[in-house]
Amino acid sequence: MTLPVLELVDLGKVYRGRKGGVQAVKDVSISVGAGEVYGFLGPNGAGKSTTIRMLLGLISPSAGEIHLFGEPLRNNPAVLRRVGSLVDGGAFYPFLSGRKNLEVLARTHGAGADRIDALLEQVGLSDSAKRRVKGYSTGMRQRLGVAAALLGDPDLVILDEPVNGLDAAGIQEMRLLIRSLAADHGKTVFLSSHLLHEVQQVCDRIAIISRGEVIREATIRDLLAADEGLRLQAAPLELARSVIEERWAVEPDGDTILVRATQDEAPEVVRRLVGAGIDIFGLTPERRNLEEVFLSITQEEAADA
Amino acid sequence: MLEAFAAETLKFRRHRATWFLVWIYPIGFLLLSVLLICVGLIQARPETAAPAASKWIESTAAIWYVPPHMFGRYLIAAFAAFVFAGEYGWNTWKLVVPHRSRSALIAAKFAMTFLFLYGAFLLTGLLTLLMGWIGDVVLGSPIPEGITAAALAKAQYLGAVAALAPVLVTIAYTSLAAVLTRSTIAALVIGLVAVTAEQAFLGLAPILSIYAPRLVWGLYQLLPGYHFDNLSSWLGQGSASQTRLPELEPIAWSWPASLALVGAWVVGVAGLTFVSFKRQDIN
Repeated sequence: MTLPVLELVDLGKVYRGRKGGVQAVKDVSISVGAGEVYGFLGPNGAGKSTTIRMLLGLISPSAGEIHLFGEPLRNNPAVLRRVGSLVDGGAFYPFLSGRKNLEVLARTHGAGADRIDALLEQVGLSDSAKRRVKGYSTGMRQRLGVAAALLGDPDLVILDEPVNGLDAAGIQEMRLLIRSLAADHGKTVFLSSHLLHEVQQVCDRIAIISRGEVIREATIRDLLAADEGLRLQAAPLELARSVIEERWAVEPDGDTILVRATQDEAPEVVRRLVGAGIDIFGLTPERRNLEEVFLSITQEEAADA
Repeated sequence: MLEAFAAETLKFRRHRATWFLVWIYPIGFLLLSVLLICVGLIQARPETAAPAASKWIESTAAIWYVPPHMFGRYLIAAFAAFVFAGEYGWNTWKLVVPHRSRSALIAAKFAMTFLFLYGAFLLTGLLTLLMGWIGDVVLGSPIPEGITAAALAKAQYLGAVAALAPVLVTIAYTSLAAVLTRSTIAALVIGLVAVTAEQAFLGLAPILSIYAPRLVWGLYQLLPGYHFDNLSSWLGQGSASQTRLPELEPIAWSWPASLALVGAWVVGVAGLTFVSFKRQDIN
């Protein structure tokens, strides 16, 4: 079995202040395999950025362990040379050009500058490479941030909100780039984003973090399948509900019922209803998207807290 | 480490602040020299005898009076504040910290700040020599006899060594302030206050010693200010700088003791900078 590229074990962070401590991250344990595109989702202030900063060595954890490529980060910070990152929307030296910024980074990395032109081309900044970053738009900085993240040809790419500030075409390009990093170049991608539609399209697996704790970790397919259902319009509705409840869970919703059954089970649902003499006016598959699932999970969690 | 140093050099060599705080010395001096030569050509000058060779040589190393001077140290503090605290202002530590050890990054900043400043002073020293010679030739002033390359090199060497301690201590003060405050302005203000307080204490010590003689006597020897003068005196005159505070034993340290104390200040304050940065959370 191959070692996970990234593994967080009971990771925690407490910010200590004069008025006591604030638990920003608590017992976060996740594991990301090689070649995966892993999404890290959560509402604002949930602890996403703190977690990302800890795994980049910017913040020291108060508890737990971070393993990168099977090695504890605490004992071997040099392992971060195999990691590329985009944090905070690409903060750069404003007085240097895009190209010079990448040269500075290449020297800091100890990497050659031979990939710079290709990367600038890849992120569509070749024409603006000699302009000072001070004059770049947010989207351009974001693109330069992605180029910077890929500069050292890393095995693990960590992207914090990579599509922030990009227009629709830019988002589409970023989506393709992220998928291509994993599919064509075998890189592992760990990304946080609040654009759930994008996450749904590019990620294999996600973790949802709320109030510093991971409250759900699953593949996109499993997460969405758990919320799959069939919306039934039938009469009499109460009778239909009692018939369906013998086999599946149901959620009454006005003059319809949401049957927790897969689309493959639709013929059996129909047979049972018809067998019980119930009139069926409609049976439509209903699949919630990631945004709805995310909202329902985080709202449930907030209500429980 | 060399790669981190190369990155620092690339980052700062052409920044406006570097032009105004570092490259200003050779450029400013060059312009001033050209101006003075032009003025000399326009104005009628009485014929003068050649100055003594020692005076002429000393004048070529005049730039080395700048870094130990309070205003020279202000400029050094300003450059150090910009180099060390700039990364916080631009939010760029996040960009580089994951890829290089924090110690190497801070060490590269120390090395770059020091070498840029010393490079500028040295270049200014060489320009002083060159422009002094050109000026005398163009204006027809006599160049004294007995000027040798060894004597010129020695003058530059003595000036450079004497300036070492105040430059290093000023950089160390400001670097620590930058890391602790994460602000260029705050680091600059603290650097200026530290330099001013340290220099002012030397002048005020005889007055202050009336109120707390032992404390002032102790502080006078503990703070680095006296030791800058003492090391300079040992280098220039071959004897200790003597200070006598009212009704107290005279102060006259040996050069190794002064060197050790200044070294302790540099290592101590720079060490605190390294430790603070290593333990710092970069949000």
